[in-house]
Amino acid sequence: MQARTRFPQAIDLLIVSLSVVFGGIVGFMTTPLPAPPQEREITIRARQYAYEPEVLRVNKGDTLRLKFISEDVVHGFFLEGYDLNVKIFPLEPEFEVSRPSKPGSGERVQEVAVTVDREGKFRYRCSHTCGYMHPFMQGEMIVAPNRLFSTSIGMGLGVLFGGLIVAARKRKPV
Amino acid sequence: MTTDRNLHGVSSSGPTAGPTPTEDSAGGRRVDLLRLFPPLKWFVSRRWFQFAVVFPTLLLFLLFLLAGVFGSPVGNRNIIVVFVWILWWFLLISVMVPFASRVWCTVCPFPFFGEWLQRRSLVAVRAIDPKQRTGEESESGVLIGRNRYFGLNRRWPKALSSIWLQNIGFLALCTFSALLLTRPIVSVMILGFLILLATVLHLIYRHRAFCSYVCPVSGFLSLYAMTSMMEIRSADTDVCAQCGDKGCLAGNDAGWGCAWGIYPSKLDRNNYCGLCMECVKSCPHDNMALNLRPFGSDTQLKGYDEAWKAFIMLALALAYSVIFLGPWGFLKDWANVTESKEVGGFLLYTVILWAGALVVIPGIFALAVWIGRRLAGPHEASAKQVFLGFAYPLVPLGLLVWVAFSLPLLLVNGSYILMVLSDPFGWGWNLFGTANVAWTPVVPQWVPYLQVPLLLVGLAYALKAGWDQATRLFGRQSQALKAFAPVAVVLTVTVLYFFKLYTG
Repeated sequence: MQARTRFPQAIDLLIVSLSVVFGGIVGFMTTPLPAPPQEREITIRARQYAYEPEVLRVNKGDTLRLKFISEDVVHGFFLEGYDLNVKIFPLEPEFEVSRPSKPGSGERVQEVAVTVDREGKFRYRCSHTCGYMHPFMQGEMIVAPNRLFSTSIGMGLGVLFGGLIVAARKRKPV
Repeated sequence: MTTDRNLHGVSSSGPTAGPTPTEDSAGGRRVDLLRLFPPLKWFVSRRWFQFAVVFPTLLLFLLFLLAGVFGSPVGNRNIIVVFVWILWWFLLISVMVPFASRVWCTVCPFPFFGEWLQRRSLVAVRAIDPKQRTGEESESGVLIGRNRYFGLNRRWPKALSSIWLQNIGFLALCTFSALLLTRPIVSVMILGFLILLATVLHLIYRHRAFCSYVCPVSGFLSLYAMTSMMEIRSADTDVCAQCGDKGCLAGNDAGWGCAWGIYPSKLDRNNYCGLCMECVKSCPHDNMALNLRPFGSDTQLKGYDEAWKAFIMLALALAYSVIFLGPWGFLKDWANVTESKEVGGFLLYTVILWAGALVVIPGIFALAVWIGRRLAGPHEASAKQVFLGFAYPLVPLGLLVWVAFSLPLLLVNGSYILMVLSDPFGWGWNLFGTANVAWTPVVPQWVPYLQVPLLLVGLAYALKAGWDQATRLFGRQSQALKAFAPVAVVLTVTVLYFFKLYTG
């Protein structure tokens, strides 16, 4: 009995898996393409417990010339995936830049350039304890083309359509 | 025999007890871990088992409370916040619940003092031989089944015999989560209050009324334990049927009667079994099994209280993902009311959270169910049966959503665990040389790549579970498909929205 019921389940699983892969491919292929790379000058203002701008929308290949200022206490700016950590001082145009991969590499500057070479969503987080809600102080850098997002949407729809195909197949309900 | 056996519809003869589990109806094969690992059986069969596993947790709990009161007021520098809300939470939702059901209840310190006072014993059992009853026993405690208890031992009010209190309590608690997660003293107040409440309720009501009906943690554990890959069940229900002792229920000199009011022979869901292992000890026929089973084996919600728990958990996962994992500062200010002083914003946030959890999300779901029933045409299943059946997919989906939400909390803030391990009070100690470890997020850029598969698996499980419910309720395939389609769309859109939050 087990052997007879397992085979259709394997087919079902295969159908759903193929549908998910297909949906993912469609999502990946239809990701909106970004505008040509450009240089952007962005000032990020930090306060308890948010950044302004909260969301940075940029394109892969862009060069970001980042400046920082804190409106209240000392904050940090740790950019996921970019080996960049910044210590921002209250109301000072100078800030301290370090590379997490190279401990002790800090230097004080008034601007830091970042070439956006990875696509997707990256959080920037406060890396210097700044108050009660410090662990939740973060912003988002969304780099186009955001293929993970469109691929995941395609895969999610793939689960639904794969499931519908399985459900619609002619066989008695289990 | 005086017992209150009707907790949560699990009764020895009640209509809601459900079918006796068999290999087919219980959904897949089982492997009895007690027979597979004899040392495990030896361990859980000892009278001192529960004391041995609870006492260390209790000591840790007391350390956390002390740290919360006397330690650093900065959450990420205090062990109570870091260990409870980062480490414990992640282990609970991502490891304990999916793989070991309510094993947290086995080691939970909340009922320790209350149960001790109720039983006046930490290890031994107080039992009498029913043939020797003289009527004098009541002078020194109350006889329930064959066990003797102390305190008032009142029955829990029938009107409150559901998880509605837990639903509301949990939602209320979570409304203040921004304070709870970041202020050690708030954690102390809440955890301290819960242990005090548990103790008082044990003195007033019999058995584990606190755990069954009040504990806010117990509520969601009961829901998500349905998915767990572990269960306690009677190994052979025929043995139970012929058993004259019923020590599992009434207690005997080997073990206390089930503190959760469950007769194992009729136990067909994990929801309300706290895995205390007393039934393993008290069964005179060695008939209890600790089974390994497929994920998502319990598939029936039995009341609106359970369905609403699923809605509340989904709403909270959504709210937390927006507030704590999102970039919007004004929302953090609203939730963080004691510091931001934005009382108006906090009230608005509270109204949105409560309305979303109790009305909007259930309303959208009910609308989808209603449309599905209309599309399906005439059918025999009642509106309640269909609603509860289609609410079940929110259980596996909700669990996976919570795992996806909790993952970045651990990976990003996990290095705080090393810090507070060496300096639990934030006083400048360095016990293990890790107090000055730099805050180091672990692969934060890969978190979305882990969250997406988790959500996809959750969606797949939810759709499969929903389809199984549809075929069970509607019989005809075409009817089942029409009935489930709107709910399937709602489930999918929900997951797509989480994709948007986490990756978009």
